[in-house]
Amino acid sequence: MNIQTEVKIADNGVNVEALLGAREALSEAPAAAQFTWRAACEWQNGVHSRSTVEGFFGLGEEHKHREAFAIDADHPAEFAAEDNGPTPVEIVLSGLASCLTAGVASVAQNRGIQLRSVRAFVEGDMDLFGILGIDADVRNGFSAIRVRFEIDADASHEDIAAVVAQSQKRSAVFDIITNPTNVHVTVA
Amino acid sequence: MKRTTTVIIGAGQSGLAMSYELTARGVDHLILERGKIANSWRTERWDSLRLLTPNWMNGLSGADYRGQDHDGYMSVSDLIERLDRYADAISAPVVDETTVLGVTRAGVGFLVWTDQMLIECESVVVATGAASKASRPRFAGALPGGIADFTPLDYKRPGDLPPGNVLVVGASASGTQIARELQESGRQVTLAVGEHVRVPRSYRDADVLTWMEITGRWSTRYDEVDDLARQRRVPSFQLAGLAGDNPLDLNALQEIGIELVGRMAALQDGQAIFSGALNNACTAADLKLDRLLNGFDDWVRESGMEPLMAPSYRLPRTRIPKAPRLSIDLKREGFGAVIWATGYRPDHRWINLPVFDRKGNIQHDGGVVAAGLYVMGLPFLRRRKSTFIDGASEDASELAMHLENYLRRKQAA
Repeated sequence: MNIQTEVKIADNGVNVEALLGAREALSEAPAAAQFTWRAACEWQNGVHSRSTVEGFFGLGEEHKHREAFAIDADHPAEFAAEDNGPTPVEIVLSGLASCLTAGVASVAQNRGIQLRSVRAFVEGDMDLFGILGIDADVRNGFSAIRVRFEIDADASHEDIAAVVAQSQKRSAVFDIITNPTNVHVTVA
Repeated sequence: MKRTTTVIIGAGQSGLAMSYELTARGVDHLILERGKIANSWRTERWDSLRLLTPNWMNGLSGADYRGQDHDGYMSVSDLIERLDRYADAISAPVVDETTVLGVTRAGVGFLVWTDQMLIECESVVVATGAASKASRPRFAGALPGGIADFTPLDYKRPGDLPPGNVLVVGASASGTQIARELQESGRQVTLAVGEHVRVPRSYRDADVLTWMEITGRWSTRYDEVDDLARQRRVPSFQLAGLAGDNPLDLNALQEIGIELVGRMAALQDGQAIFSGALNNACTAADLKLDRLLNGFDDWVRESGMEPLMAPSYRLPRTRIPKAPRLSIDLKREGFGAVIWATGYRPDHRWINLPVFDRKGNIQHDGGVVAAGLYVMGLPFLRRRKSTFIDGASEDASELAMHLENYLRRKQAA
């Protein structure tokens, strides 16, 4: 039994009211909910490339981030490269962790759960026989991905587990990784 | 052209319950039925199906269950017989073998077009049920030739399937029951599992639906819940009309040799592709199960029944295969059939009125669609139990009252 008398107000810095307002507004205007995200990538040298993320489309019009963000990708010395940035697969893992973590903060806020700290540790297993073309039965991508959360919050273990489950249910990157997507690559 | 005050479309439990209420109120009406009474129960259910509700919950308006087996689960043929006898007992004005082709407005009333006659009326009650069509995933059409597919509406018995392994897509009440029956008949079954609702058949001396009823969850009203749209989409409980431990629990299904895979995501070049999110689907179901049982335990404690009841316990976690398969080449792996147990939807295409949302779902407020137009038997229509036999009576009573008031106001105007 909860003996606190005041209503618990969590502040995880997520503007849940705005998100719920957007949900309601967009359900009435499905066309505005159609977004297109973009990244542009330019080869630097060797296996080093730099992606820039700036514009995106949504709510019926073009938008820009506050500034253009650059993300370098490269490969470590073990791959005979200069290690100017994380590998693309590590960027994918960080994308998964960021998406799930954002979900944890939002869901916790919505459920009135105050977070003190959230850490996610992500590992992806890969057999290089795939990308090196040694064994056609081995896939290029991860054979398994594991995410371990360490969360300190004003809630029971079960409630925290429920927040993490819900964040997976609503995560874009989790869906992108666990389900197939048709990808069309063309050459201009 | 025929004339009547109210046309009820569909002579199942909802249509008959409404007929009982209208007769009690002296409202002249007809019930149109495309086949015989309880047509979908007669023609669109598999042979071994038994009702998921215990018999004591299967009362009809003005006709409580009076048999000896209160806690049993009746077969579909028993239900059909009961509905037949009930229709006789209440002298329901059923016009059978009559298919409705369209419903249109005519002034402040309606015209109901059928393959037998045209009927003019003042109000219409749509009681054709929530399961007129089986939903299939969009990619179902890409199934390779030579593999048969069924839905729970046309599947009857294991022997009807061509030889080979079977992929059952969907792990709610229908999918899990059919998967179990096929595996026990000697087939190798793979079950694709998405979001699902795990419940024990019974808990602490009572059926889970009895618990739902006594803790008020079963009768929760549509205007009492947050996010009604989500509540109306909640998948059916993993339940069978069989006493004892729930044999449809994913652990029990794995014990008899059924293979679990994630939600089916695509069919590409003969490959069935499954989501890698099985772990979360099972974890979320386990967490929700615990919340439900906590709610039952709270009721026991608060009502002072603790000393009288079997002790509280929790079920073992769902055992999730370490590396569930992500794709299956159906032909190469010897699959002969796929069962799409991916849900049902109503078929209201013959209602020629602007009462649908952008996804084609009929819009209604607790069953009230528009002036003089009502719908019944849809998920969480007025209560969580609206789609069950015992949900029809209360919904019919309230909607009949609304209908009677509507007719009275209309007459006064």
